[in-house]
This record gives sequence, C-alpha cells and structure tokens, in this order.
Amino acid sequence: MNVNLLGYRPWSGQRRGAWRTPWPIARVALKMIFRQKLFWLLYVAALLNFLLFASGIYLFSQIDIEALTNNRATPQMIKFWTDMKMTLQKQLKLAGDAETYRNFFWFQGYFTMAILALAGATLVGGDYQHGSLPFYLSKPIHRWHYLIGKMAAVAVFISMLTTVPAILLFIEGMLLSEEFVNAPWPLLWGVLGYGLTLTVVLSPLVVMLASWLRRTVPLVMVWAGLLFFCRIVADVLVDLLRYDPHWRLIDLWNLMFVVGSWCLGVTPDRGGSERVRQLSLAARQPPVEAALLVLAGVFVVCIVYLHLRIRAVEVVT
Amino acid sequence: MVPMSLITLTHLTYRYGAHLALDDVSLVLEPGAIGLLGPNGAGKSTLLRLLLGLLAPTAGGGSVLGLDLQGDSGQRRGLVGYMTEADALVPGLKGVEYVTLAGELCGMPYRDAQRRAHELLTFLGLEEARYRKLEEYSTGMKQRIKLAQALVHDPPLLLLDEPTSGLDPAGRDDMLSLLRLLVQEHGKSLLLSTHVLGDVERVCSQVVILVGGRVVRQGRVDELRTSRRDRYRLEMEPAEHVAAFIGALQSAGLTVLSSESQREVSVAVPEGWSTRGFFALARDADVLIRGLQRDDEDLDQLFHRVMDEEGRGEAQRGSEPPGAVHHAGAAVDQLDPAAEARS
Repeated sequence: MNVNLLGYRPWSGQRRGAWRTPWPIARVALKMIFRQKLFWLLYVAALLNFLLFASGIYLFSQIDIEALTNNRATPQMIKFWTDMKMTLQKQLKLAGDAETYRNFFWFQGYFTMAILALAGATLVGGDYQHGSLPFYLSKPIHRWHYLIGKMAAVAVFISMLTTVPAILLFIEGMLLSEEFVNAPWPLLWGVLGYGLTLTVVLSPLVVMLASWLRRTVPLVMVWAGLLFFCRIVADVLVDLLRYDPHWRLIDLWNLMFVVGSWCLGVTPDRGGSERVRQLSLAARQPPVEAALLVLAGVFVVCIVYLHLRIRAVEVVT
Repeated sequence: MVPMSLITLTHLTYRYGAHLALDDVSLVLEPGAIGLLGPNGAGKSTLLRLLLGLLAPTAGGGSVLGLDLQGDSGQRRGLVGYMTEADALVPGLKGVEYVTLAGELCGMPYRDAQRRAHELLTFLGLEEARYRKLEEYSTGMKQRIKLAQALVHDPPLLLLDEPTSGLDPAGRDDMLSLLRLLVQEHGKSLLLSTHVLGDVERVCSQVVILVGGRVVRQGRVDELRTSRRDRYRLEMEPAEHVAAFIGALQSAGLTVLSSESQREVSVAVPEGWSTRGFFALARDADVLIRGLQRDDEDLDQLFHRVMDEEGRGEAQRGSEPPGAVHHAGAAVDQLDPAAEARS
C-alpha cells in the first residue's frame, strides 16, 4: 500500500452552514438515478406522451382549411371543415387550453408513478439496505437536511416528467397562437399549481414509502396498489354501485387531479363522451376542499412518519 | 485546539427499551489514542453513538472536545470523524464522489471537498481506485475509504468502530500503521472500539474496558498492566538439561508457572529472591540461561484477568437474594421491576 505518497495535510477552510447540505444530497441522488438505464427508458417513454401533445397542438394550429382546399371551396364548406377541425381539436383536448394540460397531467401520471417507484427504491430504500444512513447522519447535519435533499431529488423527477413538459407545451401554444404579449398567464399559474400539488404530495409520499418498504419490488407493489387499486375500488363504488362521490377520496391520484383541475380552472372531468359521462356518472367528483384536506392529511402523516423513522441508529426494543 | 480533557462522561446511562446498554459510565479521557475494549454487546458502539449524538443519553451527561453531550450534536459532529463498523457506503457512487459528498456534508465547499478527497485517497493508497464504483471495492479498500470520509474535514477526534474488521493480516497492519501515523505525526486523537486486543496494543496508549455496559478498567495501558515483580520468564539451553534445572528451581522454593517449551519457563519467586540465584542453579544443572526478563502482564492477560474477575463478580451477584442489582447485558431484560428501579 502506498501510504503517505502524499503526506496527510490539514484542512483549514471556511465551513458553510448545514442548510446548504440538502443540495449535495439531492445532486448525488439525481446522479445515481441518471446512471440507471431503466430510468432513461422510462423517461423516453414518458416523453412520447409529451411529443404526442406537442405535435398535436402544432398540427392543429397549422391546418389552414382555405389553403388545403386551394381557395376553391365554398364558404359553407370552409365553415364545415373549420367546425370539424375545432370539434376534433376539442375532443382530443389539443387546443392548448386548460383541458389540454389537465389531460396531459393525467396521462403523464402513469409514467410518473413508474419512475417514482424506481427512484424511491434507489434513493431512500438503498440507504437503508446498504446502511448508508449512518454515513449521512454522522455528519454535522440534521435528519431534515437529509430528508429535504432526498425529497428535492424526487421533486426534480416529478417536475421533469410533468411540470417542465407542461411548461414547454404552454410555450409552444403561446408561440403558435401568436399571442405572446397577451399570453394566458392564468393558465401558466394553473400549470405551476398542478405541478406544485404533485410535487408537494408525491415527494414525501415516495420517500416515506421507500423508507418503510426499502426494496424495489414491495415498493412497486404498494405504490401500484395505492394508486391503481384504490382508483379501481373508488370507480366501482361511485360509478357502478352509485355510492357517494366522497368515496373517490381514497383515490390519491384522482385527488391531485381534482386539485390540479381546480388550479387550471376546469372541471375534474376524466374524459369520455358527454353521453357516457351522464350514464356512468364518471364526472362525479368529491369537492376540491375535501380533496385538499385529504392531501394535506397524507402530507402530514408522511412528514410525521419520516421524522420518527429517519434515524442513524435503529432502536429495536 | 484540543482541550486538556478529550472526553468527559459523568454517570452516562443508555437504555434500549428494557435493555441497559450503558450503565452509569463515568470517564475522563485525555487526548491521544484510546482503545475501547470489550466483548460483543459490551456497549462500545452505543458509547460511540452517544458521543457522536446519534443517540441521546437516558441519564447522565458529559462532553466531547469541550462540547456538552446534551448540546448541539451537529456542532460536535463537525469536530469528530466517525468510521462505522458496517459498510455505510453509498453504492453507485465512485470513491472520489463519496469522499467529496462527505466533505460537503461537513460544510466544505464543493471544490475544497473534491480537492481534499483526491488528497486523502492518495494518502490512503486509493488513488488508482478513486474512479471505481464503491461496490467494486475490496474489504480493505472499503475500510480505507471509510477512514477517508471520516478524515475529510480534518477533525481532531476520530471515533473508529472496528476499523480492522474483515481485513487480512497485511491489510490490518496497513490500517494500524495509518492510525498510528495519524496519532503520532498529525496529532489526531482517536477512540478505537474493537475486541481485537492486538490492535489496541499497537496503536493506543490509553484503554477503557467495558463489560456489560459498565467501565471495569480505565487508564494508561502501562499503568493497568500489573507490574509483577515476583514473576520471571527464563530462556535457556540445552533442552535436555532443562528438566533437571526445573527440579532445582522447585527445590529452591520457586513455583514453576508454565513450561511453554523445552527452552522456556515461567516462574514465581519467593520474597527476597535475587536473580543471581537463577544463574547459580543453572550452573549446578549445567544449563546456560540465554534470556531472563520480568514476566509482566500483557494486554491480552490483562483483559482476560478483568473478564475473569467480572465473571466471578457476576457469579457472586447471581448468588445474592432475589431483587439484587444486576448490570450486565441481556440479563437486564429479566430484571424484576424493583431491581431495575434500583439499578
């Protein structure tokens, strides 16, 4: 062993406050996920949804009926085709309005769930599995610095999958509509509000589940159960058995959808034709206040659990 | 600046639920290399975690480097480097990234932490492995990188939990040489928790022996070893005359304690015995004495003597009537409430 090739040298620099330590924790966490090929595979799949929306918005904005008919159509025909275009755009929710973003967030959720299960197991579960927690907590930091760092990393993933692509869609829509000056800013706040709702609820939830379950497979199972099984149960109860819409409060992703739709200023309508919606009562949703209350409860439970759980030494009595 | 007293503990007690892990520990340790000895479950790791602030004392208190145990543990951890017994690595990171992260967590700016990480990895002989992922490291490399992360912020005190665990003899020698170097040439103090007596003997000048959560011996190694003026170790030849020589020793009133080989013998001498007597008896038995030294207790013997004394003490306490106070280890779980309250 080449001990002392370079002699030990003391260090006497200026130390910074512990409040800055969440950044290196988050940076290292992001680096660890970015090194996984599975992450990039899922991320590319998630971007396909974004590309679908982006190209749809672009195509509909570029269809010029008069040009397509070479100015040979009658005004009635032009009106007919224009109405057709607008109806199709509306039905596919590709008009670049609030409904577009509401649908984009909803569909993006499936990819977000998959990536968060992977991220949670790698970022936090791995720290338990490999005994890394004593490494972090033996340094001059508080457990909240560790938690904030980890939650910030999860928040970056959520934003990369939802808020950032949604903002890009907004910019695209703004540029194509040539209304740069009169841009629909409330819509942007709505997008940011929806993204913030997802980030604030999902970040502690992922970290909490990962610190509880630790391993990838149980985490994916519980995560899927929480977000898909609960939805199926809620749909059966409300749509088929005609229970009160408050039963949808057990569907966490739907709750974020309700709050996000409220941020965007649209009804929390999950799609389907008007007739189907009337028949199945799929449009019945709990009030936004109730959804907010449940999400706040989930947030508080996660934070309390993490406060109790994150310790360098696990005391088993 | 290291204060006169490195660690001061007063009636420090820690319980894991009903299990008493540390029982009324009071200590004053001076700067230097201190060995923390004890069998498994003696409370060594618990004591390190308490000093670091990872656990809060159930009762009692103390200070580390002048900082109160009940005070800001973050400030204390800023002055202490901790090397865990378990791996405590972050898989997926490269060696240099891991040590850089440790530096940043200690409040070092990124560039400083990175430069320091490179310096330390070179110092510890890991310069060629610094860009390898931690999961590819051998046990010896893992131990060294754990030492690097503990040293990154240049703390005056290192708390080392079994630093030679899992190392082969060569790796163990390297690690102990490094620790000695840090103490002797760079003025570091270290608290070395181990159950390998040889490690302590090679590095430490002070020793604390914990048994069942209690301090049973504490002090300088050379002071704790019993100075046995009545015992000698003799080395002689030729081997065929040694039996006659042993007979002569016994006839002269000496007690032969052990005859480890054909050439070595340990004896206890009566009061007033002069070493010249050995040579006179040797001449008569036609034996040449090649070595004569006082048979002082080594650390291994000291530790086993302490353990034996503790074992006898435990047995004595065990014969006491029900309700008597017990201390050690898992037995505490079975205490009756009255005894527990008294303890």
